Amino acid sequence: MNSTLKKMREDWILYLMLAPGITYFVIFHVIPIYEMKLAFENYRIIDENTWAGLEHFKVLFSSPAFMDVLQNTVIISTMKIIFIFPIPIILSLLINEVRSGPYRKYVQSISYLPHFLSWVVIAGIWISFLNPDGGINIIRNFFQLPSIDFMTSKDHIRWVLVFSEMWRSAGWDSILYIAAIMRISPSLYEAAKLDGASTLQQMRHITLPALATTVVTVFILNLGFFMNAGFDQVFNLMNDSVISKIDILDTYVYRIGLLNGQYSYATAASLFKGVIGLVLILGTHFLSKRFTGKGVW
Amino acid sequence: MRRMNWSRTVIYTILFFVSLAVLIPLLNLLALSFSSPERVNELSGLGILPKGFSLINYEIILSNPLILKSIGNSVFITIVGTLVNLTLTALTAYVLARTNFVGKNVVLIFLIAIMVFEPSMITEYLLVKNLGLLDTYASLILYKAINVYYLFILMRFFQEIPESLIEAARIDGAGHLQIFAKIVLPLSKPALATLTLFYGVYHWNEYFRATIYLTDPGKWPLQVVLRQFVVTQDNTTMLAGTDMSAELLASLDFGSLQASTIIIAVVPLLLLYPLILKYFTKGTMDGGEKD
Repeated sequence: MNSTLKKMREDWILYLMLAPGITYFVIFHVIPIYEMKLAFENYRIIDENTWAGLEHFKVLFSSPAFMDVLQNTVIISTMKIIFIFPIPIILSLLINEVRSGPYRKYVQSISYLPHFLSWVVIAGIWISFLNPDGGINIIRNFFQLPSIDFMTSKDHIRWVLVFSEMWRSAGWDSILYIAAIMRISPSLYEAAKLDGASTLQQMRHITLPALATTVVTVFILNLGFFMNAGFDQVFNLMNDSVISKIDILDTYVYRIGLLNGQYSYATAASLFKGVIGLVLILGTHFLSKRFTGKGVW
Repeated sequence: MRRMNWSRTVIYTILFFVSLAVLIPLLNLLALSFSSPERVNELSGLGILPKGFSLINYEIILSNPLILKSIGNSVFITIVGTLVNLTLTALTAYVLARTNFVGKNVVLIFLIAIMVFEPSMITEYLLVKNLGLLDTYASLILYKAINVYYLFILMRFFQEIPESLIEAARIDGAGHLQIFAKIVLPLSKPALATLTLFYGVYHWNEYFRATIYLTDPGKWPLQVVLRQFVVTQDNTTMLAGTDMSAELLASLDFGSLQASTIIIAVVPLLLLYPLILKYFTKGTMDGGEKD
């Protein structure tokens, strides 16, 4: 015990160097997490908050609006996983087949670009490209299809979310797979070529199996963010005509909490989302450990 | 051999269309921003060359005091924010990666806990309000002052510095602060460059916290003003304070004005893009390897 204290005293400079970081985490993470007890209280501006117990959760779970929002979140996240998740894998397989250095560089640099744009910028680009005279509708007209006002169409807005997210992230997300492919030993391909394997056969029997671990890891990580469904995206692509189709948990919390000032109620919705998210992350961590031997952290 | 060439042609063509799908919406916007107001109606939604050529949209946008100010605000927040991020992240990473101290495991578990549970935006807002940080840049700079993922990337890099170098300095009587400043930091330039870009892009693109924490439009960063213009379609904000004749105003195309504002917000990223490709890509690939 004495030697522990002695070591701590000798290392005082380390604690001093650590202090700014730890102070930051305590103030900006620990305190707001602790303050989420507000979900069990009634917010008072001047007096102490009063105890509310599970009252806000009861209201939440019996509110049709909340159920709609929950449903939207699940639908949008599921659509994104089904339709977006495979794209970077396919893209990495295609890019891997490009032998010409400059062309490969061109495709990679272009496809990574949207990842660095803010959702405000992407929303601006897509609102312009999807308007009734925009690029997408010109292509539709070319195929004799009528123009659609995508941004205000309840039937199409979720697809707008899927495709704009794909546009933003597919290129960048292919990096992890490309890195995994680059770790495959070239001798495997040499041997396959000697045996007369075609490009497609090499892809199926060498590249894809080598990618399996990365695919599982990325899939599991994505599941951990299931309840997010893409707040920044929805926040910037939402408008009154389509709100009923794409209002998700976070946009709901923003509206009822920060716009309407129902802090306790909104915090209850946040806490619900956070707990589900925590269960998903912990669950996926252990699943990942089990199947790939590697955890999320 | 023939079949291989054929499949390669298909692959090259698919990838070409992928690159077009990314580029055309951007180039169309660029064309829109440089088209002259009289001829902009001729520009097709797929067009990538401006109709006519005019800088009037940029002149209008850059003479708007609100936008001009917001560009300055964004630059300030990005530079100061990134410096704070780098200082805090590097100090923390050094202590966690290169030293042994009592309580280290507790700190590491604490960091993982922070990664898996995010505070609510409501309690974050109330905290900023209670600290008296509403309408200050400190709220934006301190929020996410350390990103735990980036912290781990830097720790991994610090761990790869050979122990012998540090041991040699220690024998020469250097303390932790000196080892940190004179050995670890200079040897970590590529990692620090990566983190500078990570954090810099984050600050430049941040709009949501600025939207909720800053109520004074004079303090808004560019992304918030852009959002007001492009997403909320609030044209009055855009044109207030610009001295323009009614005729000029009537002759302008709002689509083009929005396009030029978007381009202005994207230009700094494009200028840094070669560096971003060099460092970001490497950082992400390395990050993927350990996981």
